[in-house]
Amino acid sequence: MKDIIIKNLNKNINLYVIPDKKFKTVYISYCFHRDLDEDYTYNALVPAILKRGSEGYENQKEIGIYLEEQYGALFDVGVQKRGERQVLRFTMDLVNEEFVGKDGLLAQAFYFLNRIITKPVLEGSMFKSDYVNQEKENLKNRILAMINDKMQYSMERCIQEMCRGEKYARYVLGNIDDLNSLDPEKLYEVYKDIIRSSPLDIFVVGDVDPEKVAILINNSLDLERSQIKLIPETIIKKIGVKQREVVERMDISQAKLNIGFRTNVAVNQNEYFPLVLYAGILGGGPHSKLFINVREKSSLAYYAFARLEKYKGLMLIGSGIDQMNYKQTLDIIMEQVEDIKRGRISDAEFTASVNAITTSLKAAKDDQGQLVDYYLGNAVTGAQYTLEDFISEIQKVKPEDVVEVSKKIKVDTVYLLSPEEGDAGR
Amino acid sequence: MKKVIENKLLNEKLIYNRLSSGLDVYILLKPGYSRQFAIYATRYGSNDSQFVPLGQREPITVPDGIAHFLEHKLFEEEKGNVFEEYSRLGAQPNAFTNFNMTAYHFTSTGNFYECLDVLLGFVGRPYFTDENVEKEKGIIAQEIRMYEDNPYWRVYFNLLRGLYHEFPVRKDIAGTVESIYKIDKETLYECYRTFYHPSNMALFIAGDVDPDRVFDQAEKMVVKRSGKNEARDIKRIFPKEAKGVNKDRIEERLAVARPIFALGFKDEDTVRDGDRLLDKIIANDIILDMLIGTSTDIYDKLYEEGLIDSSFGNYYTGERYYGYAIMTGQTQDPERVADSIFNEIVKRRSQPWEQEHFNRIKKKKIGEFIRLFNSLDSTCIQFVSMLFRDIQLLDYLERLESITYNEVKKEFNEIYRKENSCLSSIVPL
Repeated sequence: MKDIIIKNLNKNINLYVIPDKKFKTVYISYCFHRDLDEDYTYNALVPAILKRGSEGYENQKEIGIYLEEQYGALFDVGVQKRGERQVLRFTMDLVNEEFVGKDGLLAQAFYFLNRIITKPVLEGSMFKSDYVNQEKENLKNRILAMINDKMQYSMERCIQEMCRGEKYARYVLGNIDDLNSLDPEKLYEVYKDIIRSSPLDIFVVGDVDPEKVAILINNSLDLERSQIKLIPETIIKKIGVKQREVVERMDISQAKLNIGFRTNVAVNQNEYFPLVLYAGILGGGPHSKLFINVREKSSLAYYAFARLEKYKGLMLIGSGIDQMNYKQTLDIIMEQVEDIKRGRISDAEFTASVNAITTSLKAAKDDQGQLVDYYLGNAVTGAQYTLEDFISEIQKVKPEDVVEVSKKIKVDTVYLLSPEEGDAGR
Repeated sequence: MKKVIENKLLNEKLIYNRLSSGLDVYILLKPGYSRQFAIYATRYGSNDSQFVPLGQREPITVPDGIAHFLEHKLFEEEKGNVFEEYSRLGAQPNAFTNFNMTAYHFTSTGNFYECLDVLLGFVGRPYFTDENVEKEKGIIAQEIRMYEDNPYWRVYFNLLRGLYHEFPVRKDIAGTVESIYKIDKETLYECYRTFYHPSNMALFIAGDVDPDRVFDQAEKMVVKRSGKNEARDIKRIFPKEAKGVNKDRIEERLAVARPIFALGFKDEDTVRDGDRLLDKIIANDIILDMLIGTSTDIYDKLYEEGLIDSSFGNYYTGERYYGYAIMTGQTQDPERVADSIFNEIVKRRSQPWEQEHFNRIKKKKIGEFIRLFNSLDSTCIQFVSMLFRDIQLLDYLERLESITYNEVKKEFNEIYRKENSCLSSIVPL
């Protein structure tokens, strides 16, 4: 069986359908790709405004009633960072018609999404000003709320420090200064440009007929499209990287240690597969070197992990520790990194990592959101690997390939978010 | 006594068997799924801190956080760590402890029966030593510190402290850094012997698996260690909870951008389970959507005034001995949000919602319930946690269908009262 059917619709739109009878709902996601350029705050604000209302569903109450009527269909918008691009997403998840015996649910969903995306509530030739002002405040609050989650905050700050001067340092939700000086006319222009000239991928996952889905989208989607803009490739290489240490203080009880590395491997290179295994062996679960040495052997932390920022060629390590143990933890972590470079990977570690990664890739087939995430990744990088292809590439990797790729990985930034009081253990 | 429970509308098939050890085993057949999910759980959580240990007469009080500590320690074996075995098989293991249960689970996409052996094996084989108990204290202390810095967690636990005078749900599940240092291997064994008998546990599996093979395997593994069923009554002691709330306001300062609030309403109807409890859960889920869901005027008004944003959410928790409804989110002004909600409640006493609104929310709940079955993990966890309240999850749609607007209104009048509420806030430093 073919896992995924890819069609090119009119107007330069790519449709990805994953027909699968086991799902009880149909998951739909419209994804517009944008360069993470200086308009990034505007890009982040547009979906939030569109979510407020459209012709026919003028406000949240009307949208709310509509969604309840459709048996609690879920509808949300979002913006994600995929390398040096933003992906603006409009997503619905609705119960398959056959369970509730109501025809037309799916067709209506496509018409609903079309209105949200193409028929916003306007005043003159701009977005309704109340919506703009309210969503501007909401977005500001969301940007500021980044500090509420210390794990996520420290990770984001580590990336910002590491990538200062690069596009990638931009926070996916935008920045406060841009919002304070927001130009509503420009905002509407950016919106027009988004729907006219951004690459658009549409994903549909569930028990559906791909032909029918293509027809429904062609009939419902009322987009004026022009020349599609190419999005510049994410820059992976950085010259003259020197290890840096950044310590930030906050009134908290647990210190967060984050270490940012340059992998110098792009996601579309063959070396990417050994890199995935490398991160797995180092910090990809309870079998990993970080879990065993930082947590189990030294009782220094509850969590210690490594993960790839694959689109930007970065790897991040994170751990929550007592600030007194900063130096000790850092030493243990760096020892693990060195160990892999010296080829110290046991058979058990290697097999466990291959198996763990294989399991998560296979398990992704049971989750509509994860399936879309995976294939959206392909759309971003131009890769053609199905999930099965990816699994077989992982199986081909040998321990020496992992050791080889480990030599390319360089520490860039050591970032510590530390409680106000006391010595950070140096 | 194998039993097949079929739900035609959902197109789901559940197979049940009680094994000779007294263990209840459920298998949800999921053809077409790549993964298998298994969860092995005991009716034992952080609330069970006072009980009569197996074979004794007098109740004891154990240190706070011990159920969670025990969960961590079961992964340790004489020959090493269970994670190693799971890793070899490629499974993803995990576990959690909440107020009422401790659960061990794994996700696999192959080697399922071997993984099941590992699960049934280690949960039945405690191995506590002075050294391995000591070693865990540093790890759990860091877990507790992590939660201390989490404002969403803090606002919730502060609220429970406000709602409850005595009931142990007011205590943190993991205990405190001080209380966990009092835990020793003897007490761990005592808790284990009392609560980890198969007759106090359940095994729930979802996936494309062979039920008879699972029953066989579980029969052998579990009888081998615990023998046949000796029906045992575990005597748990809970303090008597006074009516009304402990405090109506709780505030804490933390490093946050702007205030986070949680407004809770205490449900004083405290002894319930089975269908009665399921009806109550359904009624409250409907109430919260009618009262302040995204299709209401008050939601729209609070949103337009900038008092709530998309972080706003609400839910009802209905357990055997306690229950509460919570509305939570970020705001500039917790007091104003609470006041608006109180006013809306008063208004709705005299001007109830339209019948049409009620019908629409019912429709929404049908869809939400069907959606649950997409995810093996969520279905299993939900199923077990309902089972421990004597609720059959597959009865949900039938009970939803039969619930009347009058029952819902009665529930609304009883629980949603200002004098029964507490407002917990986290405010910036």
